Amino acid sequence: MKVITCRIERCLGCKSCEIACSVEHSKTKVLVSAIQEDPLPRQRIRVLNTGIKDGTYRLKSIALQCRHCDEPFCVDACIAGGITKDPETGVVHFNRENCVGCWSCTMVCPFGAIVRLQDGKVAIKCDRCPDRDVPACVEACPTGALVFGEPEEFSILLDEKESDESP
Amino acid sequence: MSPHKKIVIVGNSAAGIGALESFRSCDRESSLTIISDENRRLYSRCLLSYFLDGSINETGLSFRSDDYLTNLGANFIFNKKVTHVDSEGQVIFCDDDSKFDYDQLLMATGGSPKIPEQIDGKIEGVFVLRTMDDAITIRKSMDNARTAFVLGGGLVGLKAASAFRKSGLDVTVVVRSKHVLSQMIDYDAAQIVMSRLQENGIRVLTQSDIERVESENNKMNGVKVVKYEDDQSNPAEMILSCDILVIAKGVKANVDCIRDTRIECNRGIVTDSEMRTNAENIFAAGDVAETYDVAMEERSINALWTCAIQQGRIAGSNMAGKSRQYDGSLGMNSINFPGVDLISFGAIKGKPDLGFESIVENRPEEGIYKKIILKEGKIKGLILVNKIDNAGVLLSVLRRKIDVVEYKDEILSDYFTYGRLLGSRGQEEMSRYLYAGMNPGRPTNG
Repeated sequence: MKVITCRIERCLGCKSCEIACSVEHSKTKVLVSAIQEDPLPRQRIRVLNTGIKDGTYRLKSIALQCRHCDEPFCVDACIAGGITKDPETGVVHFNRENCVGCWSCTMVCPFGAIVRLQDGKVAIKCDRCPDRDVPACVEACPTGALVFGEPEEFSILLDEKESDESP
Repeated sequence: MSPHKKIVIVGNSAAGIGALESFRSCDRESSLTIISDENRRLYSRCLLSYFLDGSINETGLSFRSDDYLTNLGANFIFNKKVTHVDSEGQVIFCDDDSKFDYDQLLMATGGSPKIPEQIDGKIEGVFVLRTMDDAITIRKSMDNARTAFVLGGGLVGLKAASAFRKSGLDVTVVVRSKHVLSQMIDYDAAQIVMSRLQENGIRVLTQSDIERVESENNKMNGVKVVKYEDDQSNPAEMILSCDILVIAKGVKANVDCIRDTRIECNRGIVTDSEMRTNAENIFAAGDVAETYDVAMEERSINALWTCAIQQGRIAGSNMAGKSRQYDGSLGMNSINFPGVDLISFGAIKGKPDLGFESIVENRPEEGIYKKIILKEGKIKGLILVNKIDNAGVLLSVLRRKIDVVEYKDEILSDYFTYGRLLGSRGQEEMSRYLYAGMNPGRPTNG
């Protein structure tokens, strides 16, 4: 099961991922026309401040989207049964047709990754870009901070992170 | 224990289905029977108000597909009410004199609406909104109705009122307290909600009650409303014309069938952290179960969808021989009406004299209200009106008992997000972030 991970040490907070995500979820999937759509497409990934100082004037950031949890709270919380976990791919699917906008999923998501669509009627979250091999955010990341891969690759990343942090 | 067991689940709603799913993920062999006292296929109670105003139809009320349920391999029995449980003989008895023996039993019998004694629920035009049958009957009577009253300003009451308004009825909500949603939010937050309700054409009578239903030939034609002053003196009385009255004063646990047994029961069936009752091989979950409330730090019934599903899941796993712990229930609600998105949870009434402190941001002109309730540096409760996107992060901070003293100045701002937790909590949080989708177990446990 593949997951998307953001390597904090590489994230510049440039929000290229947010733009790519919005475009991917627009009607036309092209930036110039996407920005003229009404309502504007909304990103399902957000660049967040971590509060970590990196030695310069900047604070380090992280791009965060749905973690597609193993036992997702949102699946339990949805009163319409509209959120399901695919046992094969691990992707947590959000079915917009079912959504009545009750915000139960928003209430329980420990990552704050399910938010309201602009018109305020339904929720949205990362769908792991079903039409793509590599998610749009990962492809758009100019520094390679966002990576997409199998769990084994990430255990290496975690070790790397640990060695980074050790004095 | 032999591998093939007889599992009986009483109740075909959130807790029952949660149990069915988690049981089947561990055990495909044992026989599983689900008994429901309703004559309806699976539906979501929480969606009934959306059915009332026509935004979803009967099929849309389902929260799991028929194919999916068939594949789970359960024998669904409808229209049968369990009247007695023999915990020694491991048999349950039903109202049609049938009986079922079990190896493991889950009581997920839910709750029933409370009806105040001054109101005769049998009068035509007086309703409750609990079951699909209730919703269908109400919807039929809406065709010829002009005026609707809702007694009770909780979640169900306001959702019903909203649905009536959307369908063009003249709606009045009658609440005993000084504001609506008195179990969910405080006075200031309620001011925003009530002004939005009124802008939307829903009349709210606070500190009021319905003292009597006026009827002729057992058909309601009006209600007698009393409005109290602060000191309870000189109540004003009025008789108002009314076609539909919905009673929404909360629910009580359905425990009649175990009242004369040795199963321990207060207001609901007492459960431990594995959702077991004191009787061997009997579990309870959902609106009938009394659990430990992690915010109030006492036992209570949190009759809520999310709690019911999760309790059902824990019970189901444990019935299949696992040992899974429930980390406790929590009062938590989200609601949306035109102009109001609201989430609240936990000890929203925490008073300073009991060691609670609160941080508040009140911007009534923008319709925004945020309040966080802390005790000894930990989050104990939250109210968010019209700025709700970060509620889940704060809920998980509550559940994980994270000390928030270092975040106190920013915790209600947009700056406080999961990113801040990740940035300040080091490797432990990093693993949680990385492995949320890979490891067994919930990301916020532990």
